[in-house]
Amino acid sequence: MPDQHIASAFDRDLESVQAQIMKMGGMVEDAIRLAAQSLEARDEELAAQVRDGDKAIDALEELINERAARVIALRAPTAIDLRLILSVIKISASLERIGDYAKNMAKRNAVLAQLPEVSDSTGAIRRMCKTVEAMLKDALDCYVQRDAELAMDVIARDKDVDQMYNALFREFLTFMMEDPRNITSCMHLHFIAKNVERMGDLVTSIAEQVVYLVTGTQPDEDRPKADDTSTRLKG
Amino acid sequence: MKDNIISEMDVTTDKIKISARNVQVYYGENRAIKDVSVEIQDKTVTAFIGPSGCGKSTFLRCINRMNDTIDICRVEGDILIDGEDIYDSSVDPVQLRAKVGMVFQKPNPFPKSIYDNVAYGPRIHGLSRNKSELDDIVERALKRAAIWNEVKDRLQAPGTGLSGGQQQRLCIARAIATEPEVLLMDEPCSALDPIATAQVEELIDELRQDYSVVIVTHSMQQAARVSQKTAFFHLGNLVEYGATDKIFTSPEDPRTESYITGRIG
Repeated sequence: MPDQHIASAFDRDLESVQAQIMKMGGMVEDAIRLAAQSLEARDEELAAQVRDGDKAIDALEELINERAARVIALRAPTAIDLRLILSVIKISASLERIGDYAKNMAKRNAVLAQLPEVSDSTGAIRRMCKTVEAMLKDALDCYVQRDAELAMDVIARDKDVDQMYNALFREFLTFMMEDPRNITSCMHLHFIAKNVERMGDLVTSIAEQVVYLVTGTQPDEDRPKADDTSTRLKG
Repeated sequence: MKDNIISEMDVTTDKIKISARNVQVYYGENRAIKDVSVEIQDKTVTAFIGPSGCGKSTFLRCINRMNDTIDICRVEGDILIDGEDIYDSSVDPVQLRAKVGMVFQKPNPFPKSIYDNVAYGPRIHGLSRNKSELDDIVERALKRAAIWNEVKDRLQAPGTGLSGGQQQRLCIARAIATEPEVLLMDEPCSALDPIATAQVEELIDELRQDYSVVIVTHSMQQAARVSQKTAFFHLGNLVEYGATDKIFTSPEDPRTESYITGRIG
């Protein structure tokens, strides 16, 4: 199939909206990395920077949605073009949520910095963030390259994030049982870990959009899941 | 789960109305239709799409033997309506065309009154025994074509004096007055404004309750709006045939994809 539309303005519209997605993706990757860094280093200034940066991410999502609506209204996209526009809308929404979670992590930082440190769990959270960030990078790469196979690989990797979260969940439970003075910190840290686990799910949904875009069908629902904390009685 | 919008689009029957097998059409030496086999369902709107010269109109015209009127045209293969071969020597093309109505691209009312335009078919086919029965047939056809309210006070006025959109609906009334089982429409809205187009499309959707409607259209959006099944023709081949929503969201064949997304002419 030829890549180019007869109406070249249509190609330009689609390219520009995808370029905005890539820009937004880059900003969200940064937000994840910096939020995790600020958490580990107890760097309140860096945390403030992440919180401020979220406004730009939100604005970009709005812009992308406007552009997508415009393409739908003016060009009545079908088939691959339609799937592209739908994927753009969904991916920008997922990116925006991930950005919110990064911002929330930075917010909790302000509280955590006032409390005594609990073991080296912030390092574990940073490693978890690093995994999610790498998944996001790959999800966006396979979006550009229309690579459904790599997308399936990204989806499979969410299991690792789930397992890391399970381990942290057990750890926080243990700390809280050991010493009630840990509870405040551990509650915040647990929310952060849970949010990072949710980021992984959102990255997975981005990868699923890539599969839909390329193949026209959604991948199977029964992807590997390893977050079993919702059925756990004790650590 | 069934929501209203989707179920409205559902095809309500699996009954095959028209069955074409290995149809080839030649204009002299030129093969315009290449081995097309397709099964068209009853009570369904089927859209034929494809670039100019792809054979969609030629194929449509085979279904009521309009191609018989072209000397150099030769049709091979079988076309069956309700299991009967319409090219069988025992079939009278005039009777066939009463059963398979057709609406053309340009509205072409007879230079007669609105009433006579609609009454013409029922008269020659002897569908009424007296004047009042004929009046009923005319009124019913005009009502179904959604034009009755606009013309009921001037049934004796010439059909050619109506606006383009009204003329086209008059032609539809004329086509359905003989109670056909299949209605063929060749670009029925290309000469109409958006409001008249919407009225005709609404009508097509209503006609689907009783007829099998086959429509040729260059407007992809129209095909998407009115049909439940879509067939894509290219260079005389039937490239892809399937549910309209499938064709417009994720077609199988790259040629279909190229055409409907505007990548080839």
